[in-house]
Amino acid sequence: MLTFVIRRLLVVLPMLFFISFLVYLGLELTPGDAVSHMINPDLANSISEQQLLQLRQNFGLDKPFIERYGIWISNVLQGDFGHSLAGGVPIAEIVFDRLPATLELSFVAIVFSSLFGCVLGIFSALRQGSWSDSSLSVVGMLGISIPEFFFGLVALLLFALQLNWLPVGGRLLPGYEGLWDRLPHIILPGLVLSLMMTAGVMRYSRSAMLDSLSREFIKTARAKGLPQWRIILVHGFRVALTPVIVLIGFRLPTLIGGSVIIEQVFQWPGIGNEFIAAVRGQDYPLVMMIALFSVLAVLIASLIIDLLTALVDPRIRLD
Amino acid sequence: MNKYIAGVALASAIQMVSTAAYAASVNQLSDVRVRQAIAYAIDMDTIAETLLEGKAIAADSMIPNGAWKTEGLNKYTYNPQKARELLKAAGWNTSQTLDVVYYYGDQLTADLMVAMQAYLQDVGIKMSYRKLEGDVSAQLGKLPKAGSQTSAVKWDIAYGARAALALQEYYNGYQSGKSSYTAGTKELDKLIGRINGTVDVSAQKQAFADFQKYENQQLTDIPLYYQQLFIYQSDRLNRNGGAYGNEQFNYDWGILDWTVEPDKDGKQVLYTNTAPSQFFEHPWLNPGLNVQSKVGFDHLLTADGSLVPTKGQLAASYQVSSDGMSLTFTMKDGLKWHDDQPLTAADVLWSIETASKVPGINAVFSSTFDAIEGAKAFVDGDADHISGLSVEGNKLSIKFAKLDPNMLLTFSQFAPLPKHLLEGINTLELQQNSYWQKPIGSGPYKIAEVQMNDYVRFTPFADYHAGVAKIPEIVAFPSGQNDANVLKNAAAGRLDFGFTKSVGDVNALEAMQHMKVIAADIPYTRSLRVNNYAKKP
Repeated sequence: MLTFVIRRLLVVLPMLFFISFLVYLGLELTPGDAVSHMINPDLANSISEQQLLQLRQNFGLDKPFIERYGIWISNVLQGDFGHSLAGGVPIAEIVFDRLPATLELSFVAIVFSSLFGCVLGIFSALRQGSWSDSSLSVVGMLGISIPEFFFGLVALLLFALQLNWLPVGGRLLPGYEGLWDRLPHIILPGLVLSLMMTAGVMRYSRSAMLDSLSREFIKTARAKGLPQWRIILVHGFRVALTPVIVLIGFRLPTLIGGSVIIEQVFQWPGIGNEFIAAVRGQDYPLVMMIALFSVLAVLIASLIIDLLTALVDPRIRLD
Repeated sequence: MNKYIAGVALASAIQMVSTAAYAASVNQLSDVRVRQAIAYAIDMDTIAETLLEGKAIAADSMIPNGAWKTEGLNKYTYNPQKARELLKAAGWNTSQTLDVVYYYGDQLTADLMVAMQAYLQDVGIKMSYRKLEGDVSAQLGKLPKAGSQTSAVKWDIAYGARAALALQEYYNGYQSGKSSYTAGTKELDKLIGRINGTVDVSAQKQAFADFQKYENQQLTDIPLYYQQLFIYQSDRLNRNGGAYGNEQFNYDWGILDWTVEPDKDGKQVLYTNTAPSQFFEHPWLNPGLNVQSKVGFDHLLTADGSLVPTKGQLAASYQVSSDGMSLTFTMKDGLKWHDDQPLTAADVLWSIETASKVPGINAVFSSTFDAIEGAKAFVDGDADHISGLSVEGNKLSIKFAKLDPNMLLTFSQFAPLPKHLLEGINTLELQQNSYWQKPIGSGPYKIAEVQMNDYVRFTPFADYHAGVAKIPEIVAFPSGQNDANVLKNAAAGRLDFGFTKSVGDVNALEAMQHMKVIAADIPYTRSLRVNNYAKKP
């Protein structure tokens, strides 16, 4: 297992290097640069070309692409993630300031969607063909098909503006910074974000469960006279869990970037919002670090999933 | 015979090709009749009533309605027949398609493009439209080579806005060698010289009137509409007689006397927007757009709602010499920054020198600072200080090398920054300084707490020179002026004050029983910038 982990970690480094180059290249191919976003178009004639050149030189944007990439990667390798070109804030500070908000949201979404998705999936599989199975299938399809911003707006309208039960958005209010005070703020964005995921997990766990229940070892378990709950949960669900873990595991890192829409709808100050602003402003040091962080999260999640599936399913061997 | 026919055909073909080549190189928009035809072809009154929901006024000049607007201008009222006649007289090449660009991302602009396309099509002008992406400033503003009559920008018409702090801003961009879309002329330069060359109000008004008549005939910009600003406030807020004015800038709005009813939790908090998401914007570009710039910084002078300077704010008094070439401010005694350090004339002098080296500050500020004696030598690095600035005790004296009609306006909007915190900065990185994470200001409210991207909390500055503000706390959320969060926050009682130019938001805010909307006329004109250089690239 240690060999497996070391081998995988060694693969991560060149992948990160390659992906960082691709992202940098993508930014380079986008028209304009950070300086062009600092100047209001209405001021187009008020700033001289000499001043623009000075600004570009100051931020090192006048250098050739390869040279800039070389400087950036060498700084990163030395632990210097740079500063935001727009506001001069250290990148590490921005990332570690915004990341907890996104992780909070992702955590709630993962917990709710995993719990409800698995329970409903098992329920649906056990009642295959019944009206409740069909209803849950329809609900699952709707959950997957309807965009999350729509659910977000409906939830806001209903629970925040009409019923006044929950706040309209944001993460903190002055004077209300305890965990209990903050809880109402995360309910709506967390649940809406988990809604789509719940539908996916439900459908996945339903089919995995059906597959598992049709296996020979389930018949054996029944022949041994084991109680029904034990057959379902210990024998059936344990095997069905493997593909579900893969699904959930891969969704966790994508939530870092995937919660952008929900963060915007609910004014949630997470990394997704920051990423959008950075891409729009072509703030390349910030874009690069958030992108790299997301990629790293995916690669690590992939490793953890492999380890977990091996633990859960004895048929899987890491070697 | 066949040879004769072939010869005629060849000659005709050559002539057609030559005509097409000529039409391709010569810019027909340089013909004033074509520009006038475009103005006649667009029914701006109908567009204002329908697309803009009656919340805009059709424009007949770049200068907004009011005291400075001259009478007798041609309104170019919708007249498609007249447009067709003008185009015919100008020999309009109906096969060409005008390339119209814009840089706003809102649906309203896209709808306006569709409407304009239909109106122009009706008179025989084809147009396509596209949103500029990437380096918008360069695409809009690239200047032709000195003396060249060939434009350096690719578009035919650009839809945009001019939000002026001083009315001269509408026209100063037309100076020879400064505009990407209109070739300067001696006549234009003379007219610009007149509007800038006097501080005498009646002479200035006459100069503006003459410019408007010239502009109205030439249509370098085709004015479309005047946009209003809409100030909204909840029924919890009472301005207690405080004036309403151009909220995009700074004026004497009486915020010290504002009061707010307790909210549902019993807190006397004023909720507003425009807090930062990553850093506070410095106030030298948009001096009054964000909450921190409005409540956190004072200025040497204050102005009324129409931005006419009225009296001292940080300055106890000021004197302008009879020729308008020197200005002296006497600072109030005992002024302090929010960190209790003294605010002195030296801070103001340092701020002016620093601002004169910062690229992209407000155009009115840079005009004033460039006009100070010795400014150029300082900016070019040939002098350590601006020779026209001097401090003696609590007096700041400014000597101008050339007259600046807006010097008082500048000092009613220009916020001095604390020298003791920013001295020695790289002026190219003013905005990137860590000071902008929690700026120390001089205004009636100081920052008590910053939860970046969550909220900013302001409390009254106890040592404020004009007294302590009555509202004990202002909480600002990082929602912009025109984003979707305005309506959500207002509906949820988390927005007591703000302003917007979005007509869609205005209608929704007006429908909320607890919100009040006040329209303010501001100098903000949307127009079509017509690329009228003789040739295009």
